[in-house]
Amino acid sequence: MSIQVRGLVFLRPGFALRVPDLEFAAGRMTALVGPNGAGKTTLLKCLAGLLPVPRGTVFLNDRDLAAIPDGERARFMAFVPQEHTSAFNYSVREFLLLGRAPYVPLFSLPSSKDASRAEETLAFVGLAGHGGRAYQQMSSGERRLVLIARALVQDTDILVLDEPTTFLDPKHETNVLDLARRLVDERGKTVLVTLHNLDMAIRYADELICLKDGAVAARGVPEAIVTETLLESMYEIPMRILRHEGRTFIVR
Amino acid sequence: MADKKRTLRLLIYISPLVLFAVSLYLGTYRIPLPALLKTLLSPFVPAWKAGLPEGYSAIVFGVRLPRLILALAVGSALSVSGASLQALFKNPLVNEYILGLSSGAGFGASLSLVFLGPAFPPQISAFLFAIVAVLLVLSISARSESPIVSLLLTGVIVSAFFTALLSLVEFFASPYSLQALFNWLMGNLARPGWRDLAVSLPFVLGGVAILLLLRWRLNVLSLSDEEARSLGVNLRGEKFLVIALATLITAAATAVAGIIGWIGLIVPHLVRMMVGADNRRVVPLSAALGASFLLLADDIARSLASFEVPVGIFTSIIGIPLFILLLRKSTKIWL
Repeated sequence: MSIQVRGLVFLRPGFALRVPDLEFAAGRMTALVGPNGAGKTTLLKCLAGLLPVPRGTVFLNDRDLAAIPDGERARFMAFVPQEHTSAFNYSVREFLLLGRAPYVPLFSLPSSKDASRAEETLAFVGLAGHGGRAYQQMSSGERRLVLIARALVQDTDILVLDEPTTFLDPKHETNVLDLARRLVDERGKTVLVTLHNLDMAIRYADELICLKDGAVAARGVPEAIVTETLLESMYEIPMRILRHEGRTFIVR
Repeated sequence: MADKKRTLRLLIYISPLVLFAVSLYLGTYRIPLPALLKTLLSPFVPAWKAGLPEGYSAIVFGVRLPRLILALAVGSALSVSGASLQALFKNPLVNEYILGLSSGAGFGASLSLVFLGPAFPPQISAFLFAIVAVLLVLSISARSESPIVSLLLTGVIVSAFFTALLSLVEFFASPYSLQALFNWLMGNLARPGWRDLAVSLPFVLGGVAILLLLRWRLNVLSLSDEEARSLGVNLRGEKFLVIALATLITAAATAVAGIIGWIGLIVPHLVRMMVGADNRRVVPLSAALGASFLLLADDIARSLASFEVPVGIFTSIIGIPLFILLLRKSTKIWL
């Protein structure tokens, strides 16, 4: 399932996002990068249907996103927030089950099939046997995996991840992005992700979209588009690109 | 551990039945157990009626039975309403009166008692003004960008407004109607009879039943608005449904029993401490424990002295220290 953007303009006080035309191809991982305030999360939330986009600007497989009801959209596209905070300390199992909300009728309870779906997904993200633990007592790295697992339980073609690696140590950062990559390679999912770590974005994503001041500064295959000039114009500090054993490193 | 929890859940579910049976036996007029059983079964075995003292039937069917059924219904309603609103507002410190309902009901009852007289049932006006207060809160806060904070603040403001109006009515009231008003405001299960029950019970039972069906959805609604929307929730519609049902059952309960505080805050909190946060368990267990809690409080309130302490005062007197204790025991204070 692909996403198309056609002349999207999203305005809020003090900020304007203008994206003329973009296509997010199915079965690929696209990373949105750029400095703070560039509009990465705003674009991501517009694409995920969480911000009100004007009709005729964002399409899911050529269907106007603004015309798709929330309940139906949630079966196509799952959103992974940066963090989940709640006054209620659900167990991991209870928390994952919430991902079945788009499929459970309003006055019903999730079925045993829904429950086994949650258990399978927990094993897939490497947390088998952790279902009884309290979500709030998990480490931040484990919590990110559980948030992604909840999105997987939602059983959608598209996954939208908002800065899933912020505040994570290198090990958990790698775990989360390895998982995102596996979703593309093994399950054919379309993954959209905002990232601050450029090295990781270049290493993991099939395509980069570089944003600056609410506009697309560059887009394409990471190795092809990332240049020192582009980075310096985006971040307004001197940046160097080093290539070693086929990998690209950004030095500042 | 799992077995212990299962036993605990079972005990909570059967507690209203056990307390109901015990409470039927309690009362200032002592009826021996065999005579009590005979009185209860006398509608089915008319021959037993003849051998019983005349007042037994009136005490059991006219006084105790409606009072106990009311205690069960009101306790359940307030607890289920509290648990549902806490999930919806994502805050376990929200209570069932947060939307200005109790002050609206209080003002409604005062208008009726003072201007229409104690002979006219204050329940109708209490119910109507409870709904008016909540509608006022919802309409004032509807345009805000942060609806939850706005709802809570508007609830405080509307409550203050209706409390001021209540004071104004009290100022003009005669001592006789003031006494009736205070009696109503303090919450009392002794007054209502079958007629009051017949009016409020369908609302309470219907509302509680629908909220029980929505119990898992309350888990989804307890997420942030953004997360809930990404899971396909029709936020506006579903929030309205839960608020409407919680308001309806609280208003119906308050209209007949007066203002009985703290149950909707303490009971769901106790249940969460025992079985965790999942509303699939919290809501039905709150219904059962709330029913038992109010039944027990009413038993103590009417057995403690030769005169009756209004149960609303009693739930506050035991509820507030209990709640402070719970807060101190909690590892986290939610605000």
